[in-house]
Amino acid sequence: MRYHNKVAALFIVVMVSLFLAGCGPAVQPKIFKIGWTGNPDSLNPGVGLSSDAYDIYNLVYDSLYQLQPDGTYTLELAESVDVSKDGKTWTFKIRDGVEFHDGKPLTAQDVAFTFNLYKEHVDDFPYMAGYVTYFESVEAADDKTVVIKLSEAIPNMKAQLYYMYILPKHIWEKLPGPQATDFANSEMIGSGPFKLVEFKDNQFVRLAANKQHFLYQPKMDEVIFQNYETPDALVDAITKGEVDMITKLPLEKAASLGQREDVQMVAGRPYAPIVSDILINHIVPENCPEAEGGLCTGHPALRDLNIRKALSLATDKQRIINEVTYGLAEPGLTLIPTGLGQFYDIELKDYPYDTSEANRILDEAGYLDINGDGIRDMPDGSKPLKFRLDWNETDTANQKEANLLKEMWRQIGIDLEMRPVPQDVLYSNCCPAFDYDIQIGQWGSDPDPNFLLSVPMQEGIPTGLNETGYANSDYDRMYQEQSTTLDESTRRKIIWDMQKKMLDDVVYIIPYYPKSVQAYREDNYRGWVVDEPTLSLQDLTNLTKLVPLSK
Amino acid sequence: MKRTRFFIKKLLWAIFTIAFVVVLNFFLFRVLPGDPARQGIRDPRMTKKSIEAVRVRFGLDKPVINCFSSVNPLKVGNCFINPLDTQFFIYARNLFKGDFGISFHYNRPVRDILMERLWNTVLLIGAGQILAIVLGVTVGVIAAWKARTSVDYGALSLSLLAWSLPTFWLGMIFLFWGSNNGFPIGGKATPGMSSAPLNEQVADVLQHMILPTLTYTIIFMGEYMLIMRSSLLDVLSEDFILTAKAKGLSTFQILKDHALKNAMLPLVTVIALNLGFTMAGAIQIETVFSWPGLGGAIYEGVVRRDFPMLQGAFLMIAVSVIIANLMAELGYSLLDPRVQSE
Repeated sequence: MRYHNKVAALFIVVMVSLFLAGCGPAVQPKIFKIGWTGNPDSLNPGVGLSSDAYDIYNLVYDSLYQLQPDGTYTLELAESVDVSKDGKTWTFKIRDGVEFHDGKPLTAQDVAFTFNLYKEHVDDFPYMAGYVTYFESVEAADDKTVVIKLSEAIPNMKAQLYYMYILPKHIWEKLPGPQATDFANSEMIGSGPFKLVEFKDNQFVRLAANKQHFLYQPKMDEVIFQNYETPDALVDAITKGEVDMITKLPLEKAASLGQREDVQMVAGRPYAPIVSDILINHIVPENCPEAEGGLCTGHPALRDLNIRKALSLATDKQRIINEVTYGLAEPGLTLIPTGLGQFYDIELKDYPYDTSEANRILDEAGYLDINGDGIRDMPDGSKPLKFRLDWNETDTANQKEANLLKEMWRQIGIDLEMRPVPQDVLYSNCCPAFDYDIQIGQWGSDPDPNFLLSVPMQEGIPTGLNETGYANSDYDRMYQEQSTTLDESTRRKIIWDMQKKMLDDVVYIIPYYPKSVQAYREDNYRGWVVDEPTLSLQDLTNLTKLVPLSK
Repeated sequence: MKRTRFFIKKLLWAIFTIAFVVVLNFFLFRVLPGDPARQGIRDPRMTKKSIEAVRVRFGLDKPVINCFSSVNPLKVGNCFINPLDTQFFIYARNLFKGDFGISFHYNRPVRDILMERLWNTVLLIGAGQILAIVLGVTVGVIAAWKARTSVDYGALSLSLLAWSLPTFWLGMIFLFWGSNNGFPIGGKATPGMSSAPLNEQVADVLQHMILPTLTYTIIFMGEYMLIMRSSLLDVLSEDFILTAKAKGLSTFQILKDHALKNAMLPLVTVIALNLGFTMAGAIQIETVFSWPGLGGAIYEGVVRRDFPMLQGAFLMIAVSVIIANLMAELGYSLLDPRVQSE
């Protein structure tokens, strides 16, 4: 026994002395700490999927264009650009004296190499397929000049180039074929205003300011993204001053931060817009993609526009926003969110919340409650209007929304069978299987509307991109037209018309566009930029402008 | 000789159990509903070709095993294919080579991710278990010796309380308390410490360990105390203790030479069995304190449906529990030679 006590005492002494040893004074660099419940899934920009990873890429890499918070693009690595009359040839002059983090110069050769690499990996770099579709050839005429030839003139070239991070040729050329896909990229050599110092998986990402950068001179020395596994720990970290800011705060936690004096909470349109949507399966049997595993078990009533209109009229979006997002969202309209700026149709009027109008439409269309159980039935009495509602079981906001929908739609005699399922079951029920009636889902958007507009295209039914089975040749034609219209206002006009079409046909019900919630403290840094049209405190707009306070 | 045969028998059983776990582990994730490839590719905007490329990359394009091309939905396939070209045997063969597959989420070998995580968990569980055993046994012995006094009742109620506290709840309490008192509340190390001298690095990790270890210790010491107390009370009522007392041995001698060794047996069983349950506790503690361990990996694996990670993590836990049990049985035979003859 006595022996045990001695060991325990010794252990305590060692622990205490080591504890104290850690508290010694040292000259501290100016460190900026960001708390998040995040972690980049990969440091390889070819294969990374999570938005956390893109937050880091954006700081470590440069691209030809930078997206500004007001939605415009400015040249970054390129000092000038020349577009041919037909819009198919883009010639960029690369800036002089740009260096990678390892000291090697960045030239037009690296740019051309990178784009060709992305093109070569169009199938195993998941996101690249969308960006290089129209790239016919990319060549470096000399060390300063890159010539991109497109197969078709596209209006959203800048948005494509913005996500195509320039990689160092001298490192990536040694990785032929699948080696580039497997590459961990643990050194992450880029040319951006921050360079990777240390990455501990699921713990932190540590970046140092690249004071030699050609555009930005961050005033801090280091930026640390610290991972907290739970939102509670995240809130605690900002209130105790352990971090200077937090990002990706779940909406339901925002309320617990609202009233503090030392912590400023801000909510705004996210940098990458989000659309929360309600999918309605209205695929017609003729279009069922049976070869791709299509089951098409959707409720026949949903193919009737009257039903979809009634559902839309019976959805109290403001109540969903108040109760599900605690008011931190904007009312939804179509797949094109407010965050897309000029492309969002401000003149389009949504269906008002009007249950009596919804009831009137249903009565008129012959959906009456035949058996008197309180639920309307098909006009021929074959089936009650009871729809299956699927959502991701781990998402508490979706859970709340589902309960609200059940309650609201009950007012017009429509019942729901609640089916919370795991995320992958949600996807496999969805598309191209079409083995669902109604689902709650979400889309993330590029800064350009092109991608979201492509979702309801008829050609997307077999691939599963088209989730609702919507098939309309007018819509498809307008899509093709906008994707090659170079004049901005003409293109915007087409895109507005497409939104009207989507709303008239009730392809989706869009309850809201969530805001992004962040919070910061002013103890260590001043100069926060929070009044821009989009909000993203952890990107270059803030990290290159914040001024450390000397204490 | 007898001991060697006993040892070999136990070892064979352990190997058989591990093989069973490998099979179960593999099919368990294949019968779950949903398409693992769709989850690995969380973004439906991927083209069909890229989805196919991912399937090939993770080997999901191959039939699950002879005669079955898929288990959920159940699809019968060709029985006369080369078994080495099926998912199961590729998995088994890779396991032999120490290859656990590639994580859907991280796109990196599962082994590399899990090995790092495993050591973090071993560090946390190791420190917690040792402290819990030392404290639990000490308090248990004291309570048994002072049975039915206020010391005993005090220790007993505290242990019962500690044992019944929900792990995550206690963790949260410490998290909030700790953050008000200058303790680090997240992760294993302060960023930027890797360039510091070794002693400062160790101190930093120890600081981060204090709260999770404390939570762990409190949760498990109660159980050890209760078992130690009751088992020692049993032993103390035996005739040979009375004899020892009659011989005039001191309290300490009786405890040390006669009672403790006999009373340890149930505790060894519980400690070994506990290794499995401690993982469940570790999942909660690691999540609350953002500790980058195996428990955290399981939590994330479930959330992200990262099957290769889960398979790897479950296998690691199963193997460590089996090894712990094996060691416990061998430890038994040392503590009590009668065990071998059974």
